[in-house]
This record gives sequence, C-alpha cells and structure tokens, in this order.
Amino acid sequence: MSERPETLKRQPPFVMDAVTFGFGRKETAAQAPALKNVSLTIAAGEVLGILGPNGSGKSTLLKILMRILIPQRGKVELFGQPHAVFSQSEISRRVAFVPQETQQAFPFTINEMVLMGRYPHHNRTWGLGWESSQDCAVAMQAMNDLGVSHLGARLITNVSGGERQRAVIARALAQEPEVLLLDEPTAFLDLHHQLEIARIIRRLNRERGLTVVLVSHDLNLASQYCDRLLLLREGEIATMGSPAEVIAVESLERVYGCSVLVDRHPQSGMPRVTLPV
Amino acid sequence: MASVTSQSGESHAGGTSAVPAPAFLSRSAPDSFVGGSRPSQAVATLSPIKWLGVSGGLGTLALLTFVACLGFGTETISFPKVAALLAQGPFAEGAMQNAPHYIILWQVRVPRVLLAFMVGGSLAAVGASLQALLRNPLADPYVIGISSGAALGAAVAVLFGIGLSILGLSVLPVYAFLGALLALLIVYRIAVSYGSFSIHTLLLGGVVLNAIFSALILFLTTLADPYKASGMYAWLMGSLTGPDFPTVLVLAVYLLMGVAVLVSQTSSLNLLTLGEEAARSLGVEVERVKRVLFAAAALLTGSVVAFSGLIGFVGLIVPHAVRLVFGADHRLLLIASGMAGGIFLMLADTVARTLLSPTEIPVGVITALVGGPVFLYLLVRQRGRIVA
Repeated sequence: MSERPETLKRQPPFVMDAVTFGFGRKETAAQAPALKNVSLTIAAGEVLGILGPNGSGKSTLLKILMRILIPQRGKVELFGQPHAVFSQSEISRRVAFVPQETQQAFPFTINEMVLMGRYPHHNRTWGLGWESSQDCAVAMQAMNDLGVSHLGARLITNVSGGERQRAVIARALAQEPEVLLLDEPTAFLDLHHQLEIARIIRRLNRERGLTVVLVSHDLNLASQYCDRLLLLREGEIATMGSPAEVIAVESLERVYGCSVLVDRHPQSGMPRVTLPV
Repeated sequence: MASVTSQSGESHAGGTSAVPAPAFLSRSAPDSFVGGSRPSQAVATLSPIKWLGVSGGLGTLALLTFVACLGFGTETISFPKVAALLAQGPFAEGAMQNAPHYIILWQVRVPRVLLAFMVGGSLAAVGASLQALLRNPLADPYVIGISSGAALGAAVAVLFGIGLSILGLSVLPVYAFLGALLALLIVYRIAVSYGSFSIHTLLLGGVVLNAIFSALILFLTTLADPYKASGMYAWLMGSLTGPDFPTVLVLAVYLLMGVAVLVSQTSSLNLLTLGEEAARSLGVEVERVKRVLFAAAALLTGSVVAFSGLIGFVGLIVPHAVRLVFGADHRLLLIASGMAGGIFLMLADTVARTLLSPTEIPVGVITALVGGPVFLYLLVRQRGRIVA
C-alpha cells in the first residue's frame, strides 16, 4: 500500500462484523449461506479487490455493502453508523454502485442515463425531480471525466460495450460518492477497454481520493491496480492482504483447486498468474 | 481462467454496433482519463417548460379530436352545429332541450367520447408504467393478463351479485381492482423469477394467465342465466356503449387519481428500467415505489375494465409511438402517452361507431386489429436486440 497519511486518518467507509448472508427462505439460507462470518474493514482511500471462484460470494459481498442485500446476521457500518439508520438516498449520496452488466431495453440517451445519478440528490416532495443547473454541471463533469460527453445525445442501446460501461461509471460519479463499488467492471470488454477502465478507476482513486471496492475475475488486472486483495472461498475469507501476499501459488491453488504459475510482471514487479500447460 | 482476456465476451462485443475508437485515443497520454474527447458544456435535460408545452400541445390536440369525433355517428352532425350545441351547455332549457341533435350530442356522444378519451389515456399510461416496471417494451395490461384478471373480478361480482353498490355507487371497480392486483402480482412473480428479465417468459406467462382467467370467466358465465351471459360476452369484447354522465364522472375520479399517482412516480420509473438492484443503488425506495405502482396500475386497469371490458393493445402501441417521438424519459412519456392514448381511442371508437353504421363494431375489435399486427412486428424486430 502506498503511503498516503492524509487518507489514513479518514474514517473507514465500511466496517463489516461477522456478516452472514444466505439467499432464499430462512432454513435454506441458514444451511448454505452465500457469505459466512465475514469481518472486514475497508479503509478510506484504498482500492480493494475482491477475488474468488464463481459462487464464492464476491457479488453478494458488494451488494451487502450497497445495502441491496441485507444480511441475516452480523453488522455493517457505513462511516461509523449502522447501515440501517440511513435512507436509501443517503447511502446513494455517499456510495455508488456499478453493476456487472447494464441492460437497457428503452432508448434513453447517454445524457439521461448519467443524469439518473443525480436522483439521490433530488428533492422530490414537489415536481417530477427536475434537474437543476447544478445537477447538469455535475453530470457534465462526470461525462467529461469518462470521455463520453460527445456521446450525450446517443442512445444507450446504440453504443459499444466500452462506451456503455464508461457511461455507467459516469453515472456513478454523478452521484458524487466517496466510495465506488464495481462488480466486474472489465468483464465483457476487450483488452483495450479493460485497460482503459482500470486506469480510469485508479486515477479516480489517486486524484480524487475515492475509495474503490471492485470485484474481479481477472487476477492480473487486480494485482496491478489494487492496493489490497481479498480472496473469497465458499463465502469465507480465504486470504486478505497485499497483492504479493494473496497472489501466491499456495493460496490460489487452495482456493481455485487447480495448479497455477506465479511470476513477476516485468515492469511493475507485481505478481502475475499464468496457467501451466 | 485467469488470463487477462478470458472475460471479454465475444458474442457480446459482436452484438453491439461497431464504433471505431477515435484516432485521438491512441495519442492521449497513457495514464489519463480517457483523453482527447471533446469536453462539452451543456447537458440536455427535460425542463418543466418543455413538459408543460408537450402536455399542453397534446391536450389541445385531444380537445380538437374530441370535438371532431362528436360530429360522427349514425346521424352526422355538422361541425358548426356541434359547436353551437356545445355552446348551449349540458343544462339547456325550453325547446332546445328536446331537439334530437341536442339529445344525441349531450346525452349520447359527449359521455361516450369522454369515456373513450379516459379509457384510452388510462390504458396507455398503465402500459407505459408496466413496461418500465417489468423492463419489457412489449408489456400491455391486456397482453400480459392484467385486464383478464380485472374481468374475472368483475365477472365474479356481477354473476354472484355480491354487494353491487354501496351508497348508490357501483363497487364493480373494487372487484375488478382486486382481480387486476392478483394478476399483476402473479405476472411480476413470473417476470422476476428468472433473475434477468426475459421478454418471452413474461409474454408466455401472460398467454397462460389469460387462458386461465378466460376459462374461469367462461365457466362462471355458463353458470349464469342466458340473459346475463349475453350481456357478459358483449362487455368482454370491449365496448364503450351507453355510459351516462354520472358513471363517466365517477370513473373520471378513479382514473384521475390513478394517473396522478403514476405521474408522480415517473422519475423513479426511469430508474426502475435499470433493474431493481441498480435502482436501489441509486436511492430508489424500490419496495415502496413498487407497492404504489402496483396499486395505481391495478386501480386504473380495474376501473377501465369494469366500465368498458377488454380493450387490448392501446397500452402497447401508444407508448411505443410516443417513445419514438419524445424519447424514453417517463416524466414526459407517461403524460404524453395518456393524451395520445385518449386521442387514439376516441378515433378508434369513432371508426367502430360509423364503419358499419347503424351496426356497432366492438371497439376492442378495432384496437386488436390495429395493435395486434404492430405487436407481432415489434416482437420479430425485438429478437436479438434485447439481451433476454
């Protein structure tokens, strides 16, 4: 982790204490929980990567942080207060969520999509949630940051996957959050766009102090761009620590159940994973 | 599994329109936000002025259509005459009171055309809301079985004659409301059961639900006496025949409440098109909004079906056409669909009244003959465009 003392003093955005969550009815949820007894503190200003095999509870963990899912047992604190005391809008003003895939069947323009990020800031006691000039300015800034402002009038249904993902991240920034949660932000993208999204995320972190939690299947990208990694296995924390600690042969083989080779990235020196022939 | 490119879905990338990366991207500094894209200063958004302009414009168009439709029927009344008779007001005295054209206009046509406007507008507004809620541009209260649910509710009330009026007001809409609500809950359950919404699952569910409700209605009808049964068949075909003023006024109260509630939820509806999880992450109180929308949609469908039977496809084709003109923002879409749906049904009913005059065609037949082919066209064109 790089030394950034000013961020270390900030209150941790999230503290999870012995969180257990299961899908479905009470009994089945208790028998086979998707997340078991997870305790975790997310520090302000860090980039935390959540890794693990399919079905290990990565997305579940992210959705619990966003309070999309509510755990059956354990505590989740947001900026030092229990999750339950916040309204949905209050959470959305501080935490933004980029879902795994954005499907849109309706012809919204990119402008309209990004402005949806202003929803938690609207006062809806009267009127239909008209956007103020402030809302438009924030959305414009977010679109400029993500390089989609020239696409504003295009329909979300008619742009490429990379452009759509950038528009969705712009929508998240329009929420003016302190924490950005991303569920597999580079899935479905080609190499060029994967790199582009990873760099954007790191700059948001380094320049704006945004805390980032991202779920990824891509061990190498996570190793390059995350300060800290969390490896999940069957809903439990298998390893947590720096990329060098987590991207290691024994921990990966134990979690993924297949043999791997780990060497060093030639430029960054970060651990790099390849599969043996 | 762990290689850098393993997650890029080939099929997905192939399905999107190929937009070549602009040349300036490659020239930008390697570690920048997406460099080079031309920064822009203005974001186009919906203003209250545009909203008022569009609803006012369509409202005026609806008023003109209303007056135009009053002239047509078995007895054609010229436009100047219609204007002169309208100017007399509904409570004219003396000789005018008994003039045939005055009676035709004020006692028959005004309530009927008004009913057509309200029914068409409500069906279109419900259609637009259901489409957002179910994330399916092909949702329509008739196609997915909400209307049949309401019809079943109303049929139960009529055939068993249970508590048909309280304080002189018909409670038929209440039974229709309960039927519509039941159908809506079932449909929603079907729609979400596959995690990601599938257009075809919802439509198949609707077909089967329609079949079940229709069977139940037919079963109930066979239990009823023949006189009641024939009235029932006429009503099921969808008809706007013979409303009186008090009926239209009562209906107007129900429908205005329902539409006002839907309009008040439109900014949340926009976010619900992203899916429940994304909507929640953007601050929508999803459960509360859903309850409100379910209640309002069931109220509107139930009231409409109780008074005018099954009129299909208005909720499908009208929002679709409006979306092509005004875009997807539900704040504008809903009110514009309401107006346009009213205009559409006033016209359809005028055709139904005049085409084979003096015989009337049920208006549901007209809307199905217009809307059905449009629906099939959209269904074919939809293939592959929406990730199901």
